[in-house]
Amino acid sequence: MKDFRIEREGRGPVQLVRLSGSLDMYSFPRLETQLNTLFQQGHYCVVLDCRDLDYIGSAGLGALIGFAKQAREHSGDVKLLNVPERIYKIIELLGFTKVLQVHNAEDAALGAFARA
Amino acid sequence: MDTPENVRRKESTGKLQIATPGDGSYLAYIRSIITDLAGKIGFPEDEIAKIEMAVDEACSNVLEHAYARDKKWHWQHRDPEIRLDIRTEDGRLVIEINDHGQRVDLSDYRPTNIDERIQQMKPGGYGIFIMRNFMDEVQYSSSETTGNTLRLVKYLKKP
Repeated sequence: MKDFRIEREGRGPVQLVRLSGSLDMYSFPRLETQLNTLFQQGHYCVVLDCRDLDYIGSAGLGALIGFAKQAREHSGDVKLLNVPERIYKIIELLGFTKVLQVHNAEDAALGAFARA
Repeated sequence: MDTPENVRRKESTGKLQIATPGDGSYLAYIRSIITDLAGKIGFPEDEIAKIEMAVDEACSNVLEHAYARDKKWHWQHRDPEIRLDIRTEDGRLVIEINDHGQRVDLSDYRPTNIDERIQQMKPGGYGIFIMRNFMDEVQYSSSETTGNTLRLVKYLKKP
């Protein structure tokens, strides 16, 4: 069990946000603040690298699709990258993968914005 | 995992009771206890992930709704606490989540079409659906004397 951490770096027009630890109702406000800040700065193209994420709850998932919706209204998106299999199975089972794009390679996630 | 400060833990054969302060910083500890126990009694990884999420939703609901800061509850003179009574019996895992906050009756909840909510990209309203779909039994009870209890049951093998 690791503390929740967020690291951000710009990749051209896309913001790559690396998440580690658990994304639950306790830690989620920190990601919410980070995404709100990015949106206020006009960065609506965001990739969330989930490689080191060990849990995501429904509050986090629900809010992520809310942020993705906001981003799409500004011609951007919030895409997921490197989602661990255990988490992917749950979000697929619930149906969140129908509206959230999930990629397994950074190039593909970043490139998906160029193709959009 | 070490028991954090301010957590009470009692264990006997087939039974575990843990009581944590009603604070979100203890959710990760609760999840670790649940996943560890579910693994030890033989649930497969996919089912452990569902149990973990259902219990996390239940405890998050307690913090968000039962102990909502802007509302009064019967035992407000006491510090918020979440107590979990966990036991294994007859091939099933029983988890009772107890609080002394305000009553939040799940029977008031109207089932939503989760596919529709997701398609509309609604940011919330998934917690109760998850509990009901990831567990085999979900029962809520409330008493003036003992507080509120949400009982979640998962069968190791379907009867």
